[in-house]
Amino acid sequence: MKLKQLLTVACMSLALALPFGVQANEGGVALKHAEVDASSHEQINRGLTVFTEVCMGCHSAKYVTYKGLLDYPEIGLTREAVDELRGDRPITSGLITDLSPEDATVSYGKVPPDLSLIVNARRGGANYVYSILTGFEKDPEGKILDGNFNEYFPGHRIAMPDPLGWLDHDEADTAELEAQANDVAAFLTFIGDPHQNERHAIGKYVMIFLILLTIVLYLLKKEVWKDVKH
Amino acid sequence: MLDTIMKSKLFGWIDERTGAEAIIKSQLTEYEVPKNLNYMWNFGSLALLVLVLQILTGIFLAMYYKPSAALTMGGYTVAFDSVERIMRDVNFGWLIRYMHAVGASAFFVVVYMHIGRGLYYGSYKGPRELLWIIGVVILLIMQGAAFFGYLLPWGQMSFWGATVITNLFGALPVIGGFLQEVLRGGFAVGDPTLNRFFSLHYLFPLLLAAIVGGHVHALHVVHSNNPTGLDVHAGKSTIPFHPYYTIKDAFGVGVFLLFYCYVVFFNPQMGGYFIEVDNYVPANNLQTPPHIAPVWYLTPWYTILRSFESKLLGVVAMGASLAILFLLPFLDRSKVRSARYRPVYRQMVYLFFVTVIILGYCGHSAPTPTLKLIGQITTAYYFAFFLLLPFVHKFEKTKPLPEEI
Ligand code: HEC
Ligand code: HEM
Repeated sequence: MKLKQLLTVACMSLALALPFGVQANEGGVALKHAEVDASSHEQINRGLTVFTEVCMGCHSAKYVTYKGLLDYPEIGLTREAVDELRGDRPITSGLITDLSPEDATVSYGKVPPDLSLIVNARRGGANYVYSILTGFEKDPEGKILDGNFNEYFPGHRIAMPDPLGWLDHDEADTAELEAQANDVAAFLTFIGDPHQNERHAIGKYVMIFLILLTIVLYLLKKEVWKDVKH
Repeated sequence: MLDTIMKSKLFGWIDERTGAEAIIKSQLTEYEVPKNLNYMWNFGSLALLVLVLQILTGIFLAMYYKPSAALTMGGYTVAFDSVERIMRDVNFGWLIRYMHAVGASAFFVVVYMHIGRGLYYGSYKGPRELLWIIGVVILLIMQGAAFFGYLLPWGQMSFWGATVITNLFGALPVIGGFLQEVLRGGFAVGDPTLNRFFSLHYLFPLLLAAIVGGHVHALHVVHSNNPTGLDVHAGKSTIPFHPYYTIKDAFGVGVFLLFYCYVVFFNPQMGGYFIEVDNYVPANNLQTPPHIAPVWYLTPWYTILRSFESKLLGVVAMGASLAILFLLPFLDRSKVRSARYRPVYRQMVYLFFVTVIILGYCGHSAPTPTLKLIGQITTAYYFAFFLLLPFVHKFEKTKPLPEEI
């Protein structure tokens, strides 16, 4: 096979493979689109606030430590802010909810999952989280109790009580609630892979270096092979 | 550059004690290679590169990884936590882990291309039968290594994939139950399984390195095939490996790294193909995921397995689909090697490539009756391809071969 053909096939397969797989969630419902920028300091910090003030009532994010909130440049809380958040927990502690698994089972019938990796662990990622948060509706068939019906949750019956108060919210609050859902989705996207921005930044240099290297190697190859008739 | 090194005093000292000069000459500077190899011949050196990358990144992962299924907070385990620690807290741990996980997929991409090249150009035929057979052994060990490695992060797919596959061994008559128990180290996949898989995951790539040595040695005895499939004789149709193919392989490495690094840095999960979405959920033996599928590189064989109603037949067919690769050199009786000059074989082998891709697609997707039927048809062709080969030469009119390459 000629180099050109080979490269075309390789690029095409890469381009074809990318959009597949992540799109549809298990239920097969088309998800809403989340406005998420996992490199935005502002959005991630707003999301952190939603997380600590709302979600952490039930959920943990055990892989994110208070020290992380201090150290990740995308979050970059001050020492004072971190101390206020953590109370008497050690700085190396993860973001752990005060709700015990036993109490959760009693109240909701389920232990709320840890959210450190939720964006990576669900098809649709941030779109899925956003859709869940803004997907509390009245059951069209009237079977599932209000507050337990979620348009986007597989099977629709969700044990999580509508955390942002989406069901029955005032028209005027829609934008604010959507913003909260987006922000917390951005925060969760960030903590799912907290080195992603660094990775992209380094990756750019790596790619530039490799392009130059490959060009040089190609020219060298041509030079070495110039006398070979084939 | 090599010349200057070889003229140095130090090199002379080493040469007197090891015969290094003779080795370099016979293996590189005077090792004759056909001059008409196309870029499909680059995948061999790329496979070697990826093997080295896997071993290096693997050794660093093993410094932080902990093979234990003991539960930790939130339904996670020590093993899962240790992988997340690598991803979050270890300096550049994310890079090492993504390189390793993407590298596993890249390894199979490269090796499948390498095998496809061999099929198309008839590289499995005499005198390269043993070279091909060693290659099939490498494929099997690679699949084993990847399967063992996939259990280590102890996610849902790790756990259920290992459960499904070890179950298969249970379907074998007489020894099945015993084999399954030995693999699992108990009655179900659990902590003992994780420990023995980690041990084997360390062992297999090292075995692989040794066998790859044998593969390259066998190659250097019989020399490379080429796109025409003609026997070449040293002299006007060959050139020395160094510098011609060292530089061409180096260029290939550059192109490969462009793709590999793009995925590692910008798309390491590859939309759930390279690291499956469900593997970010910690293993839970009480909750079967809705759809269990192996990683993409094992899916063609998984489809063959699922194409039979009886589990035993499925297991046997899957084994046979791999084992038949060993027989390929003896099934194909045509005197002509390259598909370029074999119009019938050429169509057959193209169809075979398409078949394997379809088999892979079927194995990756949730089963539906249509997909099942497609899987069965393609499975039938998979075997038909090999079983027809002994007869093709009887009626195939090969095209005239050129005199020289
Ligand atoms: C009152 C307790 C509570 C609060 C507050 C809460 N959750 Fe939940 N959450 C749950 C429970 C319980 C589940 C388990 C639902 C189930 O599996 O049916 C859950 C599940 C989830 C899931 C997983 C759905 C799935 O696919 O398994 C996501 C995502 C989620 N919550 C996000 C959030 C976010 C973001 C917030 C903050 C805005 C939040 N939750 C606040 C109780 C809560
Ligand atoms: C043939 C070469 C190899 C292949 C194909 C391979 C494949 C894999 C795969 C598929 C995984 C799971 C990746 C994931 O989803 O996280 C893995 C994990 C792992 N491998 Fe390998 N591997 C190879 C060589 C090695 C070697 C030589 C070592 C050294 C001991 C090693 C150590 C590890 C460790 C510690 C893990 C667990 C960490 C993790 O899951 O990322 N591997 N390997």
